[in-house]
Formats: sequence, structure tokens, C-alpha cells
Amino acid sequence: MIQFLLKGILRDKSRSILPIIIVSAGVFLTVLLSGYMKGVFGDVIDQSARFDTGHVKVMSRAYAENIDQLPNDLALLGVTEIVGSLKNQYPEMDWVKRIKFGGLIDVIDKEGNSKGQGPVAGLSFELFSGTGKEIKRMNIEKSIVIGRVPLKPNEALISNEFAQKLNLSIGDEVTYIGSTMNGSMAFSVFKICGTITFGVAQMDRGSIIIDVSDAQKILDMEDGAGEILGFQRNDIYQVEEAELISDKFNASYASDPDEFAPMMVSLQKQNDLEFMINYSNSISAILIGFFIFAMSLVLWNTGLLSGLRRYKEFGIRLALGEAKGQIYRTFTYEAIIVGIIGSVIGTVLGVSAVYYLQVVGIDISGMLDQLSSSMMMPSVLRGKITPNLFYIGFVPGLLAMVLGNMLSGLGIYKRQTATLMKELEV
Amino acid sequence: MKSEVIITIENLTKRFPEGDSEFTALSKINLEFSRGEFAGVVGPSGSGKTTLLNIIGSLDKPTEGRVSVLSNDISKLSHKESAMLRNMHIGFIFQVYNLLPVYTVFENVEFALMLQKKSKSERTKSVMEALEWVGLQDIPNKKVTKLSGGEGQRVAIARAMVKKPELVIADEPTANLDAVNAHSILETMKNLNKEFNTTFLFSTHDEKVMSYLDRIIHLRDGKLESDEIIHHKITAK
Repeated sequence: MIQFLLKGILRDKSRSILPIIIVSAGVFLTVLLSGYMKGVFGDVIDQSARFDTGHVKVMSRAYAENIDQLPNDLALLGVTEIVGSLKNQYPEMDWVKRIKFGGLIDVIDKEGNSKGQGPVAGLSFELFSGTGKEIKRMNIEKSIVIGRVPLKPNEALISNEFAQKLNLSIGDEVTYIGSTMNGSMAFSVFKICGTITFGVAQMDRGSIIIDVSDAQKILDMEDGAGEILGFQRNDIYQVEEAELISDKFNASYASDPDEFAPMMVSLQKQNDLEFMINYSNSISAILIGFFIFAMSLVLWNTGLLSGLRRYKEFGIRLALGEAKGQIYRTFTYEAIIVGIIGSVIGTVLGVSAVYYLQVVGIDISGMLDQLSSSMMMPSVLRGKITPNLFYIGFVPGLLAMVLGNMLSGLGIYKRQTATLMKELEV
Repeated sequence: MKSEVIITIENLTKRFPEGDSEFTALSKINLEFSRGEFAGVVGPSGSGKTTLLNIIGSLDKPTEGRVSVLSNDISKLSHKESAMLRNMHIGFIFQVYNLLPVYTVFENVEFALMLQKKSKSERTKSVMEALEWVGLQDIPNKKVTKLSGGEGQRVAIARAMVKKPELVIADEPTANLDAVNAHSILETMKNLNKEFNTTFLFSTHDEKVMSYLDRIIHLRDGKLESDEIIHHKITAK
């Protein structure tokens, strides 16, 4: 019977084309939007983790309270011991020190006179003082526009946009002017060894990147760090695990009243990322629900039209001895077949479109220039192909088609067999 | 030897609601049909021909009286049981052939057997046999939309006969055919009637059909006017 129905669907274009187009379009949009949202949210979360939040972040309670001001005067001290302890307690995680700082960059000419200045956001992590994991994590090598990674003290990377603004070249020297952990003036000369573009608007506006040991030196933060970031296995964020670790860590300091005692915050508790993670998780369900509803309405109407057009066919089948329930079931089977065909087409198109967005992306760097948010936004929004994209579209595709047809097919039960002879005379 | 009675109609009355009152389509009809009859119900428009065949074909139910078809009391059958009776034992041939347009000749005939859940091999054998009865064995894969009127009605006969029913109900089967095709179709039905001892019940006012019938039942205003056996008509064509 299924083969018989399939033949009918394939041969009767008016029975199949419109529903297949509707289902394909709905599935395509579901897959595309789902893949795109997953990609964008995933990128935002991933970039936030890499550049700012880690999967968990350890800092002093006082620092956490004033985190927006980058209060290095409230930073953790004795971080070697803290990191050592964290590595012992959570060996599966990678623990790294980070210092963020603000200040001014002054560009000096050959005579030592200032030829340009600009505010700068500083980020320091393990460039030459670590294992190289941070270089990989931050994708430094691929992000360098010209030059190389700092290999020794007092070398710095500077954002490419900023370098162009200040007319800086590789080998030029700049003076960092800021304040130390203790509130006194900090001066330090750095040699530019490369320029960098991360594709993250906040980082690309004007930043200087130095090794964490250099930052400790210039900011008088001996064995100190503003933040200790923890990254989970393969740098993939596991929500529940991060929550467990931070709860356990904080519980061990619960009785300590010191405002400089360390505290741990998971990624989702920072920068409004919890909303984004929850939204990211529910977006597919929202999309599927929406498309099931919208497509069901359209397909219900399409089914009604089809039912009208096939009024005579159903009459013949009733006369030949097919029960109403059986006709209704075959009508539903047809919906399943059409739903599967439409879902396959929609999924192929949707996944292709997501692949295109994954490779090419949508550049929103212009918009981000006007945006002031603590959230790390990638300047190119990309889709992401995930395994669920290959089946997610089948839910609205099949459900809407079957639901639409089941509603419209109810008319079969109202058909009077007594009038069949008359109806089939014409 | 007395033939087996397969249809018994006793005091059949059928009324339809018409506004506030009722219209009587059939009134106190008493009839019997035996296995292998080639009979027709004749009468002007509105005489109750189609209503009678509808009830015999288990498409409708009597208002009063009893109709038994192949030992099934029509008024007591559920929708599903009525469908089963039609599916297993009754073939229908309509005025307009009412074939399923997207399917081929073979598939249209095969459909009747699919409803009986016959196996593929059984279906293929039976369909080819049925197409041979009606002379269409050479065009099983032809789309029914490409058939001539005569060919279309032959497919309809094959579809009705492929399941070897005990009863075939034909509603004005020659109304849309020219004389040559009409005679050819009637000849085919007559041969099948003889070969398989299938009961054929026609609703008609076509002289050509009447010339083939062994029994003619005249209805007028829902009442039985006459019921004649006419052996000689077979040779009169």
C-alpha cells in the first residue's frame, strides 16, 4: 500500500508539490535558524570563555564585587599556591593566571618625544612563561596580522587597528602608562613584536597583549593575578560540571570572612551568559514549536484543498469497499511520506545554508563599534553544523504535515456513502 | 434445479427527509435475486432505481423492511461491515468509469485486490487475468487518462470483476459509450456473468442494455411496476 501511495504522490504533482514546498521551507528555516543561533551563541560563549570568563573564574571576593573597574588593587596574591592547589584538586582542568589592566600607550619618536597617545585595554596571559596552551587557546598565531608572538620580556602584541591609528610598525617602542596594584604610577617600555586582530570588537579596538609575568612586574603584582581561569577538558564548557566545581570550591571558603578570600564563579554566572545559555538551549524548541504551529495551519488548509480535489477519489474508494478509517489512515501515511520527503529536502538545504554561514559568516563589526556591552561578541557571526541539525527539522516537518492532514482528513468521516452513486455520476 | 437466492428484499421502504416532510423514494418493494442473474432495474428519473441499488450495494440502509445480501442484513451492518461486504463480495461499475487518474490500467485493477490484502504475486496473476477477460492485456501500463471511453469502462469492469465478486452493481454503464462500444462492453459482461455465475444488477433506461437482460424490473414513483423474465431478449441483439 505504501508503494501504491508513493506512486500517487510522485505522479500527482498537485498532491505533493505544494505540501513538499511548505514542509521544505519550514524545515529549511528551522535548521538554518537553529544552526545559526547555535553557532552565534556558541561563538559568544566560547569567546567569552577564552578572552574573559574561562569556564570558571577564581578571584578575590572584593575583586568580584568591582570587576567592571578592573580593580587590580583587590587582586589575589599568592596565586602560585592557589593554582597549585587547584591543579591538585581538579587535575582534569587547565588553570591559568590572567591580569587585565587599563592605561595609556604613548608612542615616542627617535628623540624620545611623544608622537601619539591612546587609551589601551591590556590583557596578559602566559605567552612565553607558560606551556603554550594559552597561545593555542587564544588562537594567537592565526590572529597575528604581522609579526610574531612575544618571546621574551618587554615584548608586546598590539591590536592591528590601534597600531594603524598610531602609525606603529614592528620594532617600534611604546610606553605603557598606568597605575600599579598599589596605586602608584606604572611606566614601562615595550617593543612591538606583532599586530593582532581577534575578530572580537572589544579586543580589536585598542589593546595591548603582554606576558603575565611582564604584567606582574609592571603592576607590582608579585605572585599576584586579578583572575585565575579554569578551562575544562578540550576547552568544551560543561555547565553542570562547572557549577559543581564552583559550588565545592566556594563551600571550602564559606567560613572565611576575609574579603580577599578567593571565590569561584562559573561562566554562566558572568556577563549575563546564563540567559544566553538558557536561550540557546531553548531556541530550538521555540523554533520547532513555532514552525509546527505555523506550518500546521498552512498544511491544514492545503489538506482541505487536497481533500476537496480528491473528493471523487475518496468516493470511489469508499464504494470499492475501503472503510473510512482506512482512507483516513492512508491519508495520514501520505502525509508521513510527504513530510519525510519535505524534511529531507529542507534539511539538506538548511544544513547547506548553515555550512555557508559557518564558512563565510555575517560581518557585524560595523554594528559592534556602537555597542557597549560586557559580552564578548564575535565580529563575524557564524552558523555551526551540529549533529542535531540533521534530525531537528524532521520534528516540525513531520508533525506539521501529519497534524495538518489529520485535521483536514476528518472530513472523510462526514462523507455519506448513500450519496456516492449520485456523486460519482459526474 | 432451483438457483440459490443471494438477495432478498422484503417490504423495503426508503424515505428521505425533504424540508419538514419526507420523500418516499421506495415503497414496499419485495424482490429476490438469484446467483447468476443478469437483471436490470428500469424506470424514469426519480423512480428509485439508484436508491434500490444503493441499498443492495450496502451504501445506504432501508427505512423500513429487510434487505439481505449474501446473508447479511443490510440494516444491521456497521459502516465497517458494509465496507467489508463491498470489498469482498460486491463490484461496482459506474456511468463515468471513475478510475483513479494517476494510476495505470494495471494499478487501477490491482487496487481492488490491495484492499483485500492479497499478496503481490496473487494480485499480478489476477489482474492480468482480469485484463485478459476485457481484452486489455496488452496495455497494462497505460495511464488511464490516455484511454478511450470504451477502454476506460473495460478497466472499470476488470476492476469490478478482478476480485471475482458474487454481485456486480452497474449504474448506467453504457450511458457514456457509443453503440459499438456499448454492445462490446455488454457482451463482455454477459460472458463474465456466464463464466463466473456472477449476479449482475443494472440500473438503466438504455434499450441496448435492456436487450441483454434476462430480467427487467420496472420501477415507477418508488413502487414495483413489473418484474419480467425475458429469455428471448438475449438473441434479439
